[in-house]
Amino acid sequence: MEALGNLAGGFGVALQPFNLLMLVVGVVLGLVIGILPGLGGTSGVAILLPVTVYIAGGGNATAAVTLLAGIYWGALFGGVVTSILFNIPGEPWSVALLFDGYPMAKRKGRPGFALMLAFVASLFGALVAAVFFTLFALPLARFALEFGPAELFAVFLMAFATLVGLESGSPLKSITMLGFGLLLAAVGFDSITGEPRLNFGRVELLSGIGFIPVTIGLFGIGEILASAEESGVGFMEKISAKLGLKDLLEAIRELRKRVWMLIINAIIGFWIGVLPGTGATPASFLSYGIARQYSKDKSGFGRGEPAGILAPQASANAAGVGSLLPMITLGVPGSPTAAVIMAGLFIWGLNPGPLLFTEQKDFVWGLIASIYLGHIIAFAICVVATPLLASIMRIPYALITPFIVLISIIGAYAASNQMKDVFTVLVFGVIGYWLRKMKYPLAPLVVALVLGDQTERELRKALIGSGGDPTVFLGTLERPFAGILMAVAIGLFLLPVFQALRRRGRKAPDPAAEQVE
Amino acid sequence: MRPYQLATAAALIGVAAVAMVDSRRWALIDASGAVPGGIGAGFYPFWSAVLMSGSALILVSQTLRNPQAAKGVFEGRQGLRDVLLLIIPMVVAIGIIDKPLQLGFYVVAALYMAFFTRVVGGYRPQWVVLSALVVSVGLFVIFEQGFRVPLPKSFLYDAGVLPF
Repeated sequence: MEALGNLAGGFGVALQPFNLLMLVVGVVLGLVIGILPGLGGTSGVAILLPVTVYIAGGGNATAAVTLLAGIYWGALFGGVVTSILFNIPGEPWSVALLFDGYPMAKRKGRPGFALMLAFVASLFGALVAAVFFTLFALPLARFALEFGPAELFAVFLMAFATLVGLESGSPLKSITMLGFGLLLAAVGFDSITGEPRLNFGRVELLSGIGFIPVTIGLFGIGEILASAEESGVGFMEKISAKLGLKDLLEAIRELRKRVWMLIINAIIGFWIGVLPGTGATPASFLSYGIARQYSKDKSGFGRGEPAGILAPQASANAAGVGSLLPMITLGVPGSPTAAVIMAGLFIWGLNPGPLLFTEQKDFVWGLIASIYLGHIIAFAICVVATPLLASIMRIPYALITPFIVLISIIGAYAASNQMKDVFTVLVFGVIGYWLRKMKYPLAPLVVALVLGDQTERELRKALIGSGGDPTVFLGTLERPFAGILMAVAIGLFLLPVFQALRRRGRKAPDPAAEQVE
Repeated sequence: MRPYQLATAAALIGVAAVAMVDSRRWALIDASGAVPGGIGAGFYPFWSAVLMSGSALILVSQTLRNPQAAKGVFEGRQGLRDVLLLIIPMVVAIGIIDKPLQLGFYVVAALYMAFFTRVVGGYRPQWVVLSALVVSVGLFVIFEQGFRVPLPKSFLYDAGVLPF
C-alpha cells in the first residue's frame, strides 16, 4: 500500500504543468525519432542530454528525466511505423514486427489495423510492466543481479528454441538460414579475445556486418524486388479505407482474446528488460516465438497474424520499461538507452542506487508516474495519427518506392556513417530477393544475426568464469536458475520434435505429401 | 526450378566452407588451457558453418531425389525485366553517391526520384522536377538540419555551390 501512496505523490509531481509539458515534448520527439530511420531512442536521448542540463540546473531533475524518458517511450511507439508500412525496421526492437506487421498492412491491405494492434499492444505491455515496476522495484532489481552469464546464455537459448520452427515451410531451410545468420554475426572481431575472424584481411569487415543494414536489405529492398516480379512494377495492393476507430475497437477485441498470453509475454519482456545488457530486442523475438509456439493455428504466422504483432510489441515495450528499473534501483542500466539516461542522472548530480528511493522520493516516483502518463500520451497521439499514417500506403507506386529506397539508404548510412553499410543493404536486398524466391525463410537468419553475438559472448563468459567447467550451466543449490532455464530451453528445443513424432504416430505417413515442396 | 535450388544450396555450402577453413583454428574445445574458458574465437563460427552446410547438404540430396515441378524460376520475361528495372538504377544510384563521381546523397536522391517518376510513373516533366526537389530538400531539412545526421555531400558542396 505504501507503494500506491508514493505513486499518488509521484503523479502529483509528474502532473505539474512544466513536468507534463516536458513529457509531452519528449514523447513527440521520441515518436519522430522512432519513425525516422537511422535515429534510435539511444541517439535521440543522447542528442538532448545537453539540453536537460539547463532544465535540471533550475533544480528540476524530474522535468529533465521525464523529457528523456518521454523520448524513450515515444521511440518505442514510433519504431513500429516504418516496420509495418515500409518493411524497414525503425528500431532494432521492431524487427520482429516485420514478420507479421508488414504482411498485414500490405498483403491484407490493412495498415491501419496493423498499426492499431501495435499501439494497443505497446500500451498494454508498458502498463503491465509499470505495475510491476511500482510494486516490486527493489526486490526485482536484487534478483536480477543473481543472473550471470550462464543464466543469460540460457535465456538466449530459449529465444532460439522458440524460434526453431519459425516458418512452417522446410525446417531444413530454416536451420540453414539460422546457421547463415550465426555466421554473419561472427564476422569482425571476436569480442572476447579481440582476434579478427572471417574478415579475410579486409579492414572494412573488422567492424562486422551490422544487422540493421542486413535487415533493411533482406526485408525492405528484397520485398520491393520480389513484389515487382510477382505483380509487376507499379502495382498497388488494395488498401482498406476503414475508419481509424473501427480498427482500434477491433484491435482491442483481438487483444482481449489473448489477454493472458499477452500478460505473460509482457512479464517475460519486463524481466528480460530488467536483466542487465539485454534490452527490448531479444524480448520481442522471444515473445514472437512464444506466441507462435502456443497458438493453435500456426499457419497464419508470417502472413499477417494479429498475435504476431501483439506479442512482440507488448514484450518490447515492457522490456523498455523494465530496463529503467535496475538503472534507478541499483545504478546498473538494463539497456543502452537506459545507460544514456543514467549518464544524465550523474550530470544532474543524482546518484542512482537504493538510496535514491529514500533521498529523492519525488524524483523517483515522479519518474515512475511518467511511465504511465508517457505511454498514455504516446498512445493517444498514435491513435489520432494512425489514419494519416495508414494513408501513406496509398501514395502512388512511382513516388513511394524510390522514397523507401532513399529511406533505406539513410537508415543504413546514418547508423555507422559508412558507405559500406549502404552497399550491404544492396547486396542483402538481392540476396533477400533470391532467398525469398527459393523459399528460404528470412526470419531465422535475422534472429540469429541479432542474437548470435550476445549468445556466444555469454556462453564464453560463463565458461571463462567457471574455468572451462560446463557444469556452470547446471546451476548450484544456492543459484539454481541456470539449470532451470537450461532445462526449459532444451525442453523448448525438443518440443517440435515430440509434436512431429506424435503427429506421425497418429496418421499414416503420406508419401505424396512429402514430395510437394 | 531444380538447377536454381541446387545452385542456391551449393552457394550456401560454399560460404560455409570458406568460413570453416577460416575459423579452423580453435574450432574444437581446447582442453590444454591455452584459451580462456576452453572455447576460442573459431569455435562459434566453425560450428555455425557446420550447421549451415550440413542442413544445406541434406537439402541438396532431397532436391535430387524428389521430382520437381517443371516451372521456370522467373515469372516470364516480364518478371525479370521488372526486377532489373529496379535493381540497375538502385546500383547506379548507390554507386555515384561517393567517389569517384561523388554526387552526394541529396543530389542522387533528386536524380533517383526524377528517374523513377519519369520512367516508371510516366509523370509530366513539371511533376518530375517538383517531386525530385521536394524529396531531396525535405530530407535535407529533416535529417541534416533538424537532427544533425551527416549524410554524404556532393563535390558541389565541397566547391561551396550547394548546401549539400
